[in-house]
Amino acid sequence: MLKSTYHLNQKPAEPAPSTSAAPALPPLPPGWTEHKAPAGHTYYYHAETKQSTYKRPIIEPHFLQQEAPIPSYASGAFAGGFNAGQFQGSESSARGGHASFRGGHGYQDRRREPADRPKHKYVIPGFDAWVLVKTKLGRRFVHNTETGESFWKIPEDVLKGVLEFDIAEARKKAGKGPAEPEEKPVATVEGPSKPDEAGGSSDEYEEVEVEVTDSEGEDGPSKRLRTEEPPEDVDVEFDEDDIAYQLQAMGEEYGLESGEYGFGDEEMEEGAEGIPLTEDDSKALFRDLLEDFVTNPYKTWDQIVEEGRIIEDDRYLALPNMRSRREFWDEWSRERIHQLQEQRKKQEKQDPKIPYFAFLQEKATPKLYWPEFKRKYRKEPAMRDAKVTDKDREKWYREHVKRLQMAHSTLKADLTALLKGTPLSALNRSTSIASLPPSILTDLRYISLSPRDRDPLIEAYISTLPPPPEAPLSAEQEAELVAQRRERERREKALAERERRVQEAKRKQQKDLAYGRGRLREEEMELDRAMNVGKSGLRAHLDDADDIPIPEKGDD
Amino acid sequence: MPPIRTARNRKPPPDGFEDIEDTLLEFQNKMKDAENATHEGKKRYETVWPIFQITHQRSRYIYDMYYEKEAISKKLYDWLLKNGYADANLIAKWKKQGYEKLCCLRCIQTKETNFNSTCICRVPRDQMKDEQTIECVSCGCRGCSSSD
Repeated sequence: MLKSTYHLNQKPAEPAPSTSAAPALPPLPPGWTEHKAPAGHTYYYHAETKQSTYKRPIIEPHFLQQEAPIPSYASGAFAGGFNAGQFQGSESSARGGHASFRGGHGYQDRRREPADRPKHKYVIPGFDAWVLVKTKLGRRFVHNTETGESFWKIPEDVLKGVLEFDIAEARKKAGKGPAEPEEKPVATVEGPSKPDEAGGSSDEYEEVEVEVTDSEGEDGPSKRLRTEEPPEDVDVEFDEDDIAYQLQAMGEEYGLESGEYGFGDEEMEEGAEGIPLTEDDSKALFRDLLEDFVTNPYKTWDQIVEEGRIIEDDRYLALPNMRSRREFWDEWSRERIHQLQEQRKKQEKQDPKIPYFAFLQEKATPKLYWPEFKRKYRKEPAMRDAKVTDKDREKWYREHVKRLQMAHSTLKADLTALLKGTPLSALNRSTSIASLPPSILTDLRYISLSPRDRDPLIEAYISTLPPPPEAPLSAEQEAELVAQRRERERREKALAERERRVQEAKRKQQKDLAYGRGRLREEEMELDRAMNVGKSGLRAHLDDADDIPIPEKGDD
Repeated sequence: MPPIRTARNRKPPPDGFEDIEDTLLEFQNKMKDAENATHEGKKRYETVWPIFQITHQRSRYIYDMYYEKEAISKKLYDWLLKNGYADANLIAKWKKQGYEKLCCLRCIQTKETNFNSTCICRVPRDQMKDEQTIECVSCGCRGCSSSD
């Protein structure tokens, strides 16, 4: 019983090695059997001693010794660093969402630990394009500066150069002795492996390495790197420059983030790209984002975030945290609302009657009474508009229905009268059917004809109208104009009257004149006749005078 | 008998109501959901928390619209208060120094508590003894002191 607890103590550290070392495990000691637990992991059982353990029992004692330090490292990483970090994170941030972010970082931190970065770069003699890079943890790989390729496994052709380099370095070291204490540890550790490399071919190399992996499995970096590093990752091709960048970015991210309480994504972006964004830039970016996605500035910030469309955009991260975003949103929405208010002031108000009248034109029939009509279309926005009272709606409906039953010609005449009554400033040649003035649109006479009959009529009328007056006139000016026109009309009328009278007088005068002239001529003729004494002499006169009693005779 | 006022025969709301109508409608729906939500697994006092929260949010929205953003007219603001879209008493408190973030009126009602004190959510976070998340009993507030 005691023994079993001892073994179980080792358990937390075990899973990682056991899973990775699965392919080629050392044989079990006699008496031990391997089993699979219902949860999926394997455990080992000794039938005679009735011991059971998760840890694989191994014969050689020195393997156990080797493995001992690993758990301590791993458990430290788990229990100490990771967990503590996560808890702090979730505690400091009240919301649940943040905790997951924290967790993510904790994971990255842990991964960062064994990660490596290049430290030294050596030119390989004889191969100009190739460089030998040593990492911080003592691994090495070759990198081709021209093609940008990197190999953990040194290619055949370069290997020669690398060997030369190694020999030269060994010589240098031997000559200098303990001159460089810092460089030494790495060099000395690598020392033993180098003769290996130098002596054996690359095949041998691989074999050695395979053995090592078998015995050790995966473990902490500190141990393995010193001994047989490069072969460890044989055949894996890395772009080492990329890795270096990533490492650097991660490092920076980590550094920044520890001070910050916000979200990590954006720091990573900045760190990796290295392009500095000023505060104004980021604000402008966020403004663009809002202008692109948000149509209604009257919403609340919570609604905008809940919608989630802006979160998916990259520019959302331009501002570092939620508080700044919310502040900027307040600012922006205030501006936007004021803009909208200005706009609305400028444009004239639409008469609420217009949509209702359009609706009536479309739906009203003499077949429905008002209550029926009202019930049938109660859901329509035109019927629900609070700006128009129900009473008015009813009145207009009744009137409209009554008009629908009137004769077609009457309706046409009414429409013409309506059009003629509209002032020129509202209705002129440049008006189109779609932009008729509200005074026409809100008139029952306009909607009582169906559009099919009505529109050609209006178009024909509009085409006869003169172009619009130059300046759009205000009501006062218009009234004045009307007054002027009326005055002028009156004057013209008066003038015509006077003209007429004058004409009449003239005619009368001429008539008089003509009459007088006629009289005169008559008299003249009479005189002429009197003067005209022919052969007959006075006799003629006497003959003439026979008709009338001549007083002269009597006098004689 | 008083005239029955329905949505159909009421006077139209003041200008500008159309702008905020959608948001208010959303609050209304949320409130309906909260009212009809099940109380399974909740403590007795927890059931009213969402009601208080939504009331607070809606009042805050109208307060912001009128005082911070100046997006609605005085007429509309008064109309909203009169029609119960916002809590006028709560807004009155927000105008006072020290009460800028007050969560609900219950939390400053000292006479209702055992020791004649305000609610725990009125205590500034840095004066709390241990770093813990508190949710006050009356409205579920996690802290509404002005310094937080």
